[in-house]
Amino acid sequence: MPDLSHVDDYPEIPVSLRSSRGVLRTGDWRNMRPVLAERVSACTHECPASVPIPRYFHHLAAGRLEEAFATFTLRNPFPRITGRVCPRTCEAGCNRVDREGPVSIRDLERYLGEATAGLPHLPSAEATGSKVAVVGSGPAGLSAAYYLRRSGHEVVVFESQPEAGGMLRYGIPEYRLPSAVVDDEIARLQAMGIRFRTGVALGGDLDLGNLEDEYDAVFVATGAWLGRSMGVEGESLMESGLDFLVASHDAGVRPPGRRCAVVGGGNTALDVARTLRRLGAEATVLYRRTPDEMPAIGEEYRAAVEEGVAFEFLTLPRALRKDGADLVVTLETMRLGDPDDSGRRRPEPTGDDREARFDAVYSAIGETASLEPFPDALKGGDGWLAVGPSGETKADRVFVGGDLATGPATVVEAIAWGRRTAEAVNERIGGGYEVPDWVAEQGDGVVGPTDINPATFPDTDPHHAPHLDAAARLAAGMGEEAGTMTDAEALAEIERCYSCGYCNECGTCFVFCPDVAIRWEDGPVFDYTFCKGCDICTTECPGHVILTVKEEEVARG
Amino acid sequence: MRFGIPLEERIEPGNLGCQGCGGALSMRMVLKGLSDDTVAVIPACCWSIIDGPWPVHALQVPVFHTAFETAAIMATGIKAAKLQQGKDTTVMAWAGDGGTFDIGLQALSGAAERNEDIIYVCYDNEAYMNTGIQRSSSTPIGTWTTTTPDERPETRPKKNIMEIMAAHRIPYAATATPAYPDDLLAKVEIARDLRGTRFLHILSACPPGWKMGSGDAIAAMRAAVDSRVFPLYEVRDGLDVTITRWPEHEVDPEAYFAMQGRFRPLLDDPEELARVRRLIDRQWETLVARHREHHPEPAAG
Ligand SMILES: Cc1ncc(C[n+]2csc(CCOP(=O)(O)OP(=O)(O)O)c2C)c(N)n1
Ligand SMILES: [Mg+2]
Repeated sequence: MPDLSHVDDYPEIPVSLRSSRGVLRTGDWRNMRPVLAERVSACTHECPASVPIPRYFHHLAAGRLEEAFATFTLRNPFPRITGRVCPRTCEAGCNRVDREGPVSIRDLERYLGEATAGLPHLPSAEATGSKVAVVGSGPAGLSAAYYLRRSGHEVVVFESQPEAGGMLRYGIPEYRLPSAVVDDEIARLQAMGIRFRTGVALGGDLDLGNLEDEYDAVFVATGAWLGRSMGVEGESLMESGLDFLVASHDAGVRPPGRRCAVVGGGNTALDVARTLRRLGAEATVLYRRTPDEMPAIGEEYRAAVEEGVAFEFLTLPRALRKDGADLVVTLETMRLGDPDDSGRRRPEPTGDDREARFDAVYSAIGETASLEPFPDALKGGDGWLAVGPSGETKADRVFVGGDLATGPATVVEAIAWGRRTAEAVNERIGGGYEVPDWVAEQGDGVVGPTDINPATFPDTDPHHAPHLDAAARLAAGMGEEAGTMTDAEALAEIERCYSCGYCNECGTCFVFCPDVAIRWEDGPVFDYTFCKGCDICTTECPGHVILTVKEEEVARG
Repeated sequence: MRFGIPLEERIEPGNLGCQGCGGALSMRMVLKGLSDDTVAVIPACCWSIIDGPWPVHALQVPVFHTAFETAAIMATGIKAAKLQQGKDTTVMAWAGDGGTFDIGLQALSGAAERNEDIIYVCYDNEAYMNTGIQRSSSTPIGTWTTTTPDERPETRPKKNIMEIMAAHRIPYAATATPAYPDDLLAKVEIARDLRGTRFLHILSACPPGWKMGSGDAIAAMRAAVDSRVFPLYEVRDGLDVTITRWPEHEVDPEAYFAMQGRFRPLLDDPEELARVRRLIDRQWETLVARHREHHPEPAAG
């Protein structure tokens, strides 16, 4: 040890030993402050059912399956179903769409659905003593039944077919939505106490007036099952596309011949064509406009092309006749004229005719609802049902919805309608279910592409659920064409989500705060004693969940 | 949490840095990567003030305030004293660019040449900010400062302190910025676990001095990296160069300059701007070539 005795001769040096905490109240410098303000993500905004997508992603990523399921089913009880058949308007809204492509929201929804397939539905509210009848067990009816039951009502679902499920079971082909999934979901609803009575049809054994007397409310969602007439010569030689889809759920169904044609450009037409291909037939879609005007979901069209479905666009059948075993169809070439009411260009005849020979021709030019069971008192001036935004009708106790109200639409739209009606019924007869605080606290603003800050996110290509290629799809027959993501894929895909409008505890604000003015308590807590209002957290927050407000506005309240 | 950043803090909430101070954020992050048994040695610079007025201070480790030119030698002395006491305390010199590139360079070179067992961090805000934005040898070409006003802006390129430090063949020298926190933390941890002189050069935005809004501080530092104006890399033993971040989306240097009022003279002078662009390209190419020497396999990027 060297001799250090001389050290004592030096003057003392000032050393700062005390913590500055509480002394340097730098919050006094601030003229604006950050606040957490959750808003609606663009994907949720584009979802007909308003599923809080970033919010359930967050629970899913954290392994909180129950919370993820509860969050999802607040808006849609059937992730296993929409996770398969949704046209995913959400993905078109995703703020990542122009980077490497949107987050694979539908694939994640399916992942959620499969991961929570074994969970029971949330417990229902205390019994209200009210009884509600739901007529029709398609997506609108089942969704309404779910939310009504959850609200504490006694719910009976009536179905004209031998089994419940409506369009889900009978309309959507097996390769897109296996009936086993529908079975499971109905069993899960039964476990909630919802009762199903099948084989009873409105207008047959079931009378709307009687239901009104017996139940506190009646929700009719019987769908749109009537094929439209084309008004062409020999139309009776055509078969119904929808009937064929219903029949296709039975093993052993075969088309009557190899050369089949389908008339129409909607989802039913493409479902028929793709089913025909799987059952070994050739399929030609005859559509009077061009691919741009087709109402079918774009991905259905691309899949049909891959599967070898032939398309003859600008083609309209004018007449059908029999020639031996052949069906001879006269086809007229069309051209596009000015836009019609739907904004799509109207097909106009050119006078050019040709003939084509088929073994069978299916009509799928759109379905409409049968209004037979409804009294005139429920109809408006146009002869259709007069329907309010949540399915209200002219009769106090009667509500309608789904395709019956909207015409052929998507499963998710029907599900959304079912929930809206359940809420309208609750308003009328009392009852309801618990909703978490965030629903009321969330602002209405939608977080758009110019609000977000994706700078801290690396480029990552989307992960997708497995999907059979076209050859394998055809080889699989009516077997399901898509699969479910692995856990690792789902986690990696959720990491791509910017979590627009929702704080998923990403930590960006915490990490970049120069002043240690954000405490981390499983999420950011702003410490206004020290926050200087530098605005970094607001700027860097990827999902635009943090806003900066002026102190004078805070003071004004 | 999307970042691998420890929750633990070694600095109190509230400090006397300006709003959006990159230097304050750099300190916060570096201390997260070190241990409680650390002494900070701070020469004259903004951080002399940021830490708070005597007798209170913000850091939760002891700070030794020292004269402008003496950070490295004071750290050397404190380390020696600690060793005398039988303690293996980490001693970190923490100096600005003025205290490093300019007045402190001699002491730093001496310490590095002797391979003193210290971590020397230069938080670089590219001017003498504490005394009111005077130029330093770290100030880039074309920059406005109070001593290089609009009529005669900075004409010399930023001094390359990393090459000077590498020339001492010290075990570790690295660039970093808090805009890339995981990269910064990884380098602090590497430095922490090595012995000898370790040098960290941390680009730290100064919103008042860079003439920009405080909320854009992180964005500016990020753009500096992505425009290759300030590449992130490390040099082992003075020779082995590794680029640690290959810009995914190259940002045009002009976009980086345009974020900051201090570059107005540069943006107003197309010839100078063209020269600066060439300089940025040449420096990047040189760096990539040195990276390739050390990593014969082409790295991702
Ligand atoms: C020998 C000496 N000369 C000048 C000063 C005045 N002085 C204090 S801080 C400072 C500028 C420091 O600049 P830099 O090192 O870049 O740190 P910054 O303030 O930018 O953080 C100066 C010139 C001093 N303290 N000592
Ligand atoms: Mg400086």
